[in-house]
Amino acid sequence: MYNVAEVNAEECVAQKGCRLCIMYCPEANCIQMDTTKMVATIVESRCKGCELCVVVCDAAKHNAIKMVAR
Amino acid sequence: MGKKIQINKEFVDIMPQDYLDLVENGTFESPNRGWKDFGTATELIAEHSLCAGCPESIAFRHIMASIPNPEDTVMVGSTGCTSLVFPMIAVHNIHSLFGNQNAIATGLKRALAVRFPDKVKDVIVLAGDGATVDIGLDMTLQSWFRKERFTTICFDNELYANTGGQESGLMQKGFLAKMAPVGKKFEKVRLPEIARESGCDYVAIMTASKPSLVEKVIKQAVLIAREVGPTYIQIYTPCILEIGKQSMEGLQEMRTSEAPGERFKFREFISPEAQSFLDGLAEKKKAEKLAATGATS
Repeated sequence: MYNVAEVNAEECVAQKGCRLCIMYCPEANCIQMDTTKMVATIVESRCKGCELCVVVCDAAKHNAIKMVAR
Repeated sequence: MGKKIQINKEFVDIMPQDYLDLVENGTFESPNRGWKDFGTATELIAEHSLCAGCPESIAFRHIMASIPNPEDTVMVGSTGCTSLVFPMIAVHNIHSLFGNQNAIATGLKRALAVRFPDKVKDVIVLAGDGATVDIGLDMTLQSWFRKERFTTICFDNELYANTGGQESGLMQKGFLAKMAPVGKKFEKVRLPEIARESGCDYVAIMTASKPSLVEKVIKQAVLIAREVGPTYIQIYTPCILEIGKQSMEGLQEMRTSEAPGERFKFREFISPEAQSFLDGLAEKKKAEKLAATGATS
């Protein structure tokens, strides 16, 4: 079992300009911006499960990312 | 896609998708590169083997997004955790012997100036604190004494993380590490001050917790190194394993360490020559653009 991040598209506020998870993810090209839906999307094969995106998202009170088992 | 970075049409069908993405959607030759490209453009780092949540990989990502012209940059690395990432970056790079990085960068910078007299070639040294301050201090200082024009970036994690946590010159006084159980008896080496006195025209000490600040500092340092003299940046990238933190706590550790009065509070030193260069940067940038287009066309 391996934990990866998952974005709740309804809670994600990327269309308001938020890029916190994309800024602070330590992995390159791991969290991508879906420019049509304007939500952050996780490339699961690149996610190492560090939870930093969850920390920054929760600290900004967006609570849009949670860790799920894969 | 720019003119300099192209893919041979014969090879398009056999190249991996990551490579094609990099050529088609990378940020080479983009005049306004920066962290704002994250999420939409392909970054210059591929998947690497650093630990989950490693602050060093955050810093690496911000630096690779910020360097002004990656297509004409050569990076020099040294032994350490950074050497796990260097094979995965889309910029020319050289792995040096442990501690030799500034000497190699010196020769490289001079050779590039002879080989490509019409082009602007940047050399950036990126090494850990062991290579910069302990084992390579001689080479580091001598390159500054000689006013060699390249940027030295030190990833300061305050110990030898790759080999299990031995004491390093930049470790803070009294710190206990796994392989330094007595605690350090001496003060942390004040390398930013030494750099300033040794002839660096731009010195900054910071953490990687603010991408916009990293971007500003890296761009300034590379441009000053191109025109004025040596530059030095010391970035705190804590080793979360060795200081006993969880993977998601690295960012908070960096923020705590840059609070007012803490040892990584953002400080920068700009020499008068570098300051006057920065003041006239906008006009020089225009002139450089004209010179670059004139050289390639």
